[in-house]
This record gives sequence, structure tokens and C-alpha cells, in this order.
Amino acid sequence: MQKLFLQDENLGSFVSTLIKNYPVIGPVAKKTRFVFSNLKSSDDLRLDYDTTILPPKKVFFPTKQNLLEFDGNSIKGCINPKNNILFGVHPYDIKAISMLDKLFSENHRDNNYLANREATIIIGSNVQNHYKHAFFGTQCKDMELKGHDMFLTKIIGGYAVETLTEKGNKLIQSGKFEQLDEEKIREAEEVNRKADENCPEKINFSSEEIKEKIRASFDSDIWDELSKKCFSCSSCNTVCPTCYCFDVQDQWAIDQKSGVRYRRWDGCLSIDFSEVSVQGGTENFRETRASRFRHRVMRKTAYLNDKLGFPACVGCGRCSGACTINIANPVKIIERIMEV
Amino acid sequence: MSDHNSKENIFMPRQAEVINSKWLTPTEKHFLLKMKDGKSFEFIPGQIVETGLPGWGEIPLGLSSSPTQKETFELVIRKVGKVSTALVGLDKGDTMFIRGPLGNGFPVEEFIEKDVLVIAGGIGLVPTRSMINYILDMRKSFKNFTIFFGCRDNDCRLFIDDLETWHTDDNVNCFETMDNPSDGWNKNTGVITTLFSKTEIDKETYVIICGPPIMYKFVIGELRKIGIPDEHVFVDLERRMKCGVGKCGHCQINDKYVCIDGPVFRYSEIDGLEEAI
Repeated sequence: MQKLFLQDENLGSFVSTLIKNYPVIGPVAKKTRFVFSNLKSSDDLRLDYDTTILPPKKVFFPTKQNLLEFDGNSIKGCINPKNNILFGVHPYDIKAISMLDKLFSENHRDNNYLANREATIIIGSNVQNHYKHAFFGTQCKDMELKGHDMFLTKIIGGYAVETLTEKGNKLIQSGKFEQLDEEKIREAEEVNRKADENCPEKINFSSEEIKEKIRASFDSDIWDELSKKCFSCSSCNTVCPTCYCFDVQDQWAIDQKSGVRYRRWDGCLSIDFSEVSVQGGTENFRETRASRFRHRVMRKTAYLNDKLGFPACVGCGRCSGACTINIANPVKIIERIMEV
Repeated sequence: MSDHNSKENIFMPRQAEVINSKWLTPTEKHFLLKMKDGKSFEFIPGQIVETGLPGWGEIPLGLSSSPTQKETFELVIRKVGKVSTALVGLDKGDTMFIRGPLGNGFPVEEFIEKDVLVIAGGIGLVPTRSMINYILDMRKSFKNFTIFFGCRDNDCRLFIDDLETWHTDDNVNCFETMDNPSDGWNKNTGVITTLFSKTEIDKETYVIICGPPIMYKFVIGELRKIGIPDEHVFVDLERRMKCGVGKCGHCQINDKYVCIDGPVFRYSEIDGLEEAI
């Protein structure tokens, strides 16, 4: 694979060429924040973004995704991937995508996700500005960064570019790339190292220590304390790059004959997440705020850690910022549990 | 990653034709079904199917017939929510949409050459009936076979014809109780644990339990008194299984997905999981 240099002044024409050939989704400004959105022009691309409101998983796992279309008793699937480019994905989000790739592939393979994922070329980029709650520098540190096709690191005068796949190599012809000398390679490594080091928040325990302590705290009263103010709004789930729970619903078209079966993002913090209909009402298997709050933390630090080999939290800090009453910050939750 | 251009969709149901239907109780309807593609529907007792109708949705149901019955299979639907209400409206000749079989089912081979006790409470008889009929069809492979069935009142007593057959069948010791019987009830009255005093259960017995959440801990207490190890006790759990394929998260109990790791769990594996029972 290749290591190249792209001058600042040549980024625009590279992105413009890509936009001509593919839908390109990248970080763009939205009021005071950033979102992943279709780029209309290369000028919209904001590689200096701190983080986006929603994670880029929405490109393969849309907030609402049709699974089946029906007309009377005739049903057909809706897997119909469109080739596109996801541009400017930060390393922590690349790691989260790798986790989702694994989770949607294991056991029963979910091509509703995987087909979209395969049709997407991912161009990563380094973190130039930190989100105020980011702690990715101390999270999943040893996890290999993979699954993307190209990576751009901002260095003086331009970008150090690395291609990781054939798909990534093919993109080279869309821009004016130059040779990358050893000095620039070292500069890029230093930039990425500093991005990790300069995270505003840090977790100072190993994921193994955390997993053990949290499992041991299952029956602790700490969950009541931590979740006391929880609105059960699921904002922490919604903005999380590794949350992948969903609900499946049917919707009739106006003819009352045809319609769709779709899935939409769901979150384990919401009250009805584990509720079932029973005779005479409902039964909720995680009825208390504390049990729902605990489930999220357990899942991230322990249950999925066992499956993935890493905690299902990449340290983006989105949940910390999304929580209305400021109780979702994993750094603070873990610190509190570790001191009990 | 996926195979290139793979469009196989884990959410795609298959069509089954309703061959017959019958109300078992005022709220539970029994369906005899046959796959429309002509293929036999193979499964293990204890497995589930996602059953649905386009436009209404899907619900998880335990298969109620024995897999030894090759051409057809049976489901029982309790009318409680939106989807189940739509499904109980179906009758002979109508089409039901099925995904599955899903989940693990009972480890049937472990029960071979063993005493077996099936404890079913109310609608818990629906999935356990699959195992009961399987054992009766393969009777020589098992030793003593006992059934405990309990229900709240006469309206909840389902599979009455089967129960009456089992009461008179020498191949099985069937004991029945009712919490609040009407006049004329000539069997035991009381909760299901009262049946333990009616017969001798050997401590080498393998046990299957399915019933309302409240039932489990009392029944397991009785089994422990007899000295039956938790490793020989299998519980069939119900949760909000939505996708049925271990993705959507709704049925997760701690680190287990009921739809793929269950719905049958060895009790020793879930004892202490606060959210399990």
C-alpha cells in the first residue's frame, strides 16, 4: 500500500473529483456542531471538526432502514446498496465501525448492514481539534486501526496520505498526490500520537481492571446513585458509535395493502426497551432506571468486551455531551465505580 | 465482511398455510401449519419461530408440536398485543409468515436414558408440549416420564384433550393442579409446587421448566430440596425477542441473548443472573 503527500491546495480538487464520481459523505458544520452529511461541494468538508452529533454508522445502519417491502402477501427484501465514500472518519469512529462489522457479521449475517458497509469506501482523517469530552487516547489503545481504505493526517503544508486497500489505491488517480518523505511520515506519526495524548479526558484504569470491577459491582447500590437523575431518554445510546440495538416495526402505506417492515435505532435506556405484552398489561424485564443504566455500562465494559476483546466504547465522548443532566460520561461513571 | 453482492436477508419470512385452527381457551388459539414451499419444517423441541403478518409485525413463539410430526407444525397464539390480535384472526387457508426455527432448543440427547420431569405453568405448556410429544413418540429412549401442569383457572387450561390423554397414558405420570378451580374440579388445587408431594421424583431426574416468571424460583427451590443439581434443570425463558437473530438487543439478559443463546438455558448457567428469572 502507498504513502503519499497531498498539498493543502490540492485537497479541494481531490474531493471535487470524488464528488463527481460518488456520493461523498463527510463532516460539515451545522450551527455550532458538525454532522456527517452529503457533500455538495469540497468547500463544505470540515476536516477540522471536533466530533459529529451522530456517529458515521448511520451511513450503513440508517436511523430508519427498510428491511422488507410488502404488497398483500408478496414480500421482497430491501438490500440495495449504493456505492459511496465516507470521508473524514476519525480513528475512534473507525474502531467503532470495525466493532459493528464484527457484530453484524457474527452468528446470523445481517446483509442489511453488511451490503451498505461493503459499498462504502472509508477515508479516515486525524483528529485536528478535540471534542471537549473526548477520551479516545486512553480507550481501545491497542486495537488495530483497520477497515478503512485511506487515511489522511494533517501535517504542515498538507496531508500525509496512507492507502490501506486496493479501493484506497484506486482513489489516488482522483488527486494530485506527491511522494511522502521520511520526515513527513514521522511528522504524521507525531501528530497522531499527540492527538491521543491531548485528549481532554482520560481513563486511568485498564479495560481488564474496569471489566472486573464493574462485574463485581453488579449488585451494588452505586447504580441507583449514578442513575438517580436519568430521564431514560436514550440520548447516550443514540449518539453512541457502537450502540446497534434496533426496534422492528411495520408501516402500512395509504392503500392499507402494501407497506414496509423497517428497523429504527433503539436504546436500552428507554423504559419500554425490555417490555413485553402479557395478559392484562405488560411485563418489563428491566423496570428500574438503575437496571437500565447498569445494562448500558455492563454492555460497553464487560459483555461486548468479552466478545470483541475491547470495550465497546471508543472514547468519542459524544454521550457525555448528549446527556441532558450530565450523568452519562463514561469517564466519570468508571471513576466513581472504581472508588467504591 | 459479507460475500459480495449477497442479498440474503435474515428478516425474510417464509409462508406457511393454516391447515386448521381452534380456540383452546378464550384467549389462546391453536394453529396447525404447513410450509407453502412443500418442504418439511425441521426443528428441535424448545426452538422458536418469529411469526407475523406483513403490516402488523412479528412475535416470537415457541413451537408446540413434536418434530417427529414431519409434514406439519403447530403454534399457539395468545391474544395480548397488536400482532397477536391480528394473527388470531387467521383461519384455515390463510397465510402466516414464519422465520425460523431460531434459538437453541432443549438438548434432547442429554435426556436420553434419563428420568424426565416437565413442569409447565399456564401457557408454558405450549413450548414444552413439543418436548412432551417428542418423548412420547420416542418413549423407549427415556426412563420415567412425569408431567406437572398448573394453571390459574379453568379459562387458562389449554390442550385439554392432550392433558386427558396423558392422564390415562401409562407412558407418562401426569399431575395437574389449578390455583382457583371452578366447581367440579377433581384434581389438585393449589400452586404448582403442591404437586411435589404427590409423587416421588428421583434426584437423577432431568427437568424442564416453563411458566410465568414468578413460578421459577419456587419450583427450583423444590428441585434443590430433592437434590437435583442445577446442571440438570433447563428453563425456557421468554423475552422481547424482536429480531430473533442476536442483533437487536431487546431480549438480552446480562450477556446472554435469549434468541440465540436460549430460549432454553441450563439453570446452573443463569443462576445469579439477576435479570434472568
